[in-house]
Amino acid sequence: MRLGMVIDLKRCIGCYGCQIACKAENGTRPGTTWARVVKREWGEYPDVKKLSIPVLCMHCGEPPCVEVCPTGASQKQESDGIVFVETDVCVGCRACVMACPYGARYYQDDERDYFEQGNNAYEQCVYSAHQKGVVEKCDFCRHRLARGDEPACSANCMCKARIFGDLDDPTSEVSRLIREEGGFQLNPELGTDPSVWYLPPER
Amino acid sequence: MTGSAATQATQSEDTWIPSSCGMCYNQCGIRGHRVDGTLVKIEGNPENPIGRGRLCARGLAGIQLLYDPHRVNRPLRRTNPEKGIGVDPVWKEIGWDEALDEITDRLARVREEDPRGFFFSGTVISLAPLMHALGTFLPAFGSPSAFVSDGHHCGNAEHILARTLHASVTTNPDVAHCDHLLLFGCQAGLGTYYALTTMAQDVADARDRGMKVVVVDPFMGTAAEKADEWVPIKPGSDGALACAILNLLVNEYRIFDADYLRDHADGPYLLTDDGWYARDTETGKPLVWDVDAGALRPFDAPDLGAVALEGHYEVENATCRTVFQALREQVAKWTPEAAEEVTTVPAALIRRMAREFGEAASIGSTIVIDGVELPLRPASALYFKGAHGHDNAWPTSLAIELINEVVGASNVPGGLLGTNPVCLGHPDTGFPRWQPGPDADGLLEAGALLYNDPYGRSPGWPPPPESADLPNLRDLVGWPITTCFTPAALNDRENFSFDHAPQVLLNYGSNLLMSVARPEVCFEAFKDAFVVCVNLHSDETAEALADIVLPDACYLERLDPLPNFTRHHHPVGMGDWGHTIRQPLVEPLYERRHFSEVLLELARRLGITEPMNLLTNNLFGLVAPHALEGGAEYEWREIADRAYKSWFGEERGLAWFEEHGVVTWPKKVEEVFWKPFIHARAPLYNEWVKRSGEQVAKIALDRNMKGVDTSGFVALPDWRPCRAWRPRDGFDLQAIYYRVPWHTFSMTYENPWLDEISRGEPYSYFVCINTATARAKGIEDGDPLEVEGADGGTIRGRARLTEGVHPEVLAVANNGGHWAKGMPFARGKGIFFNQLLPMDLEHTDLVSLSMDCDARVRVRKVGEA
Ligand code: SF4
Ligand code: SF4
Ligand code: SF4
Repeated sequence: MRLGMVIDLKRCIGCYGCQIACKAENGTRPGTTWARVVKREWGEYPDVKKLSIPVLCMHCGEPPCVEVCPTGASQKQESDGIVFVETDVCVGCRACVMACPYGARYYQDDERDYFEQGNNAYEQCVYSAHQKGVVEKCDFCRHRLARGDEPACSANCMCKARIFGDLDDPTSEVSRLIREEGGFQLNPELGTDPSVWYLPPER
Repeated sequence: MTGSAATQATQSEDTWIPSSCGMCYNQCGIRGHRVDGTLVKIEGNPENPIGRGRLCARGLAGIQLLYDPHRVNRPLRRTNPEKGIGVDPVWKEIGWDEALDEITDRLARVREEDPRGFFFSGTVISLAPLMHALGTFLPAFGSPSAFVSDGHHCGNAEHILARTLHASVTTNPDVAHCDHLLLFGCQAGLGTYYALTTMAQDVADARDRGMKVVVVDPFMGTAAEKADEWVPIKPGSDGALACAILNLLVNEYRIFDADYLRDHADGPYLLTDDGWYARDTETGKPLVWDVDAGALRPFDAPDLGAVALEGHYEVENATCRTVFQALREQVAKWTPEAAEEVTTVPAALIRRMAREFGEAASIGSTIVIDGVELPLRPASALYFKGAHGHDNAWPTSLAIELINEVVGASNVPGGLLGTNPVCLGHPDTGFPRWQPGPDADGLLEAGALLYNDPYGRSPGWPPPPESADLPNLRDLVGWPITTCFTPAALNDRENFSFDHAPQVLLNYGSNLLMSVARPEVCFEAFKDAFVVCVNLHSDETAEALADIVLPDACYLERLDPLPNFTRHHHPVGMGDWGHTIRQPLVEPLYERRHFSEVLLELARRLGITEPMNLLTNNLFGLVAPHALEGGAEYEWREIADRAYKSWFGEERGLAWFEEHGVVTWPKKVEEVFWKPFIHARAPLYNEWVKRSGEQVAKIALDRNMKGVDTSGFVALPDWRPCRAWRPRDGFDLQAIYYRVPWHTFSMTYENPWLDEISRGEPYSYFVCINTATARAKGIEDGDPLEVEGADGGTIRGRARLTEGVHPEVLAVANNGGHWAKGMPFARGKGIFFNQLLPMDLEHTDLVSLSMDCDARVRVRKVGEA
């Protein structure tokens, strides 16, 4: 099994719901956005195009982050291809942050709090799950998968632009979409073989 | 609060509680995860048809509002006697008793002297408590001086037409069957607008299926980004484009639904030369031309032959024409070339837009849904603030609406639907229940708007205006449902000959200094009043004006039995009805209290519980044995329980809703696509507006009022330039604001997660300017700019050079730039657009009380701040 996600750039309206769905699910610290959205524009008025490209960890088939990790904290889960960080083992050397071509990794050193009063009651609850001095990233919500739910960003996306499933299963919805709707990976030339695929905005 | 889900908190508690979002007016279904008394997660409730388990960024981020350390937690009293914008009130915390004693004292005095001196303003975001105040407390107190202060965010003209043509307050397209969606300054299902989270799913499905989306907008927002075609337009000229499309449809291409116009609209009604329906001398009924009989007949004559839709006819020696004929002649001057000159949209493109829309409507086609054959008109034209946020709102909105009407795409599959104007009730009880019907002229009359309307107004046509006594002009113009014109009228008191001034202002949940217009407008209007703000933050309004601030419970801390009054902003189209609860996911923190409970307490203290009980029965539709009795005192939970039981039966009271969150049942085809089933005609011709105009002119003349221009009270669509459209020397650009899906008005700028979006996003914290326009002015990306309004006001922000904006336009997102001490997180984030907006008769559409939401400006580069 190889878990992956298809992001349909035709359906996505760039609402940033995924960025906040991830924050709400994982309670990440200020400045950390495992899921985020990149906006691009091109052309000349009035023939203009804008595009919103949601990004997250690509869960690469050949992850350079895992390759460079000196401690083995960054790993690729054999059973399903999920790339994750064993934060107890991570020493915070940040080699992986440099190695990742997709900007998916966040070193937890941000001293900034959202509010000058420090953490509120909610933040006190959720930040305890996030050690400082280590590197963090999206893990496809492994805790949700364990109980049979899909990742928070795809479960919530109000345009149903994010589809999660098994790339190895040719009958899965993700495989079908990639096959039939012209699925592509970001920066395939880097040879990282992402498990996150995109469908073209116009088709 | 015994027995509520929120009090089941125990040690090592871990529970999910269903409720409703309140980060915008849509009230989507949520569920909250509470662990040991702390809310740790909000997500969509899949069982709730409002959102179907999916939320927008704001809804997901609500937890940071609940635990915002800058919330007001205890009543505050101003100790600095000076009031003013930017003045530090020097708050002192006081107890609830002290606060309520003083408020009661002030209110009692006003009530004795002149109850009209009690003013109320509120926000539509908190629809349920707002309705509670408008529908019960205000009339029980005896004051009509209320207004909804969402200011330039209000739907105004759209609400009027939703009522006349769709028997509702709002509309949404039936995208499940639509093939062509034409949006004017609106992002339905593509970022903002009603029922956003559900519509987003449905619009994405429809686009996948091949629905074409055309977006007319000066700025390329999220809707235009996804559109198959972006049509940039000069702000405020949408009406000219719509008139040209109408002209092409009804005159040049002759693509119109004659059967619909003849049978379901007033198309065949005859108009006299002076613009009134020609009426039967005996019965007073509107006349039509019976082709078979070759005679004039009342529209509902039992043995009527074929009826003429077009042409001129003789009535008592005068020549009449049908309404549809009048429409054809009215829009004839709007050739695509004439419209191009005004709108900058190329004539050839206008032709193609009209043809594609008309052809997509597939007039004559039918569809079978749930075994019923219905007309299929898979084309919808829809509009919002971008189109109608101008002082030409009425004729503009009418023109866009009539694009749907002429092709019959109104309340049938694929067309524009009123927001659930027909409800035949839950199968167990038959409640709630409403439906429209015909009035004496055969025209559509709404069944109910917000269940029962405030002030006990029954549905129906507005009575002709009688006076200008009400500072919200409700009397003067008759029909605007929401308006924030009140402060402007107060500032022009002599002109309106008001003999009363605001003594007390109770401001609920709104930051009117920022939301209505430039802050001076509301400050001037209320600076001499005793002002109570009931709100979440000590915001700009509180700091400038409030004598007392009461700490409000936010939507995650309160009980609302009817968060959306079942249908307001409920998804349209087939699917399920969802009647929901809003309940505390945590008990109100600190000393925060729910406004509805404060109203009950104030009523008790003022001795007006009895009338309030009566009005509560009316508002909530409480029926025996659940109706409130006499002057008995009821707890809020008790009232909620009675509301639920009245509608859904004994077994589905408050406790049931606390546990289940939502009751759902399937919609019927005759509820959703009611037009073929209910014979009530849509008025293309708006006699009532013409009548109102004449009456307003008379009142203005009688009272010697200045600046009351009634030329906009037109019965048929037209276009005239809005204020900001008119050239002013040296002011070469038009500033507009647009909306992003992750902010609501100005309040969400205090939310750190949503701020994080804006900081990472390229446009929303900048002044967007067309690249070529900027370069010609020597402006580079990132330059600090000063934007000066021709009608006053200056805003500052950094330039974002983009190709996605009309060359004559500056575009600013939402309405940020807070300055209150009490909202330190929000301070300085985003741009305070409303600083550019004055508010007075001159900048207002008097039919709908829409204000001109754009401004003529000039821009210059300034030094680093
Ligand atoms: S939530 Fe969905 S629609 Fe919104 S930005 Fe993310 S992927 Fe796009
Ligand atoms: S996207 Fe970056 S962090 Fe994720 S697997 Fe690939 S290299 Fe590693
Ligand atoms: S659309 Fe409004 S009500 Fe719905 S989730 Fe977003 S903020 Fe909440």
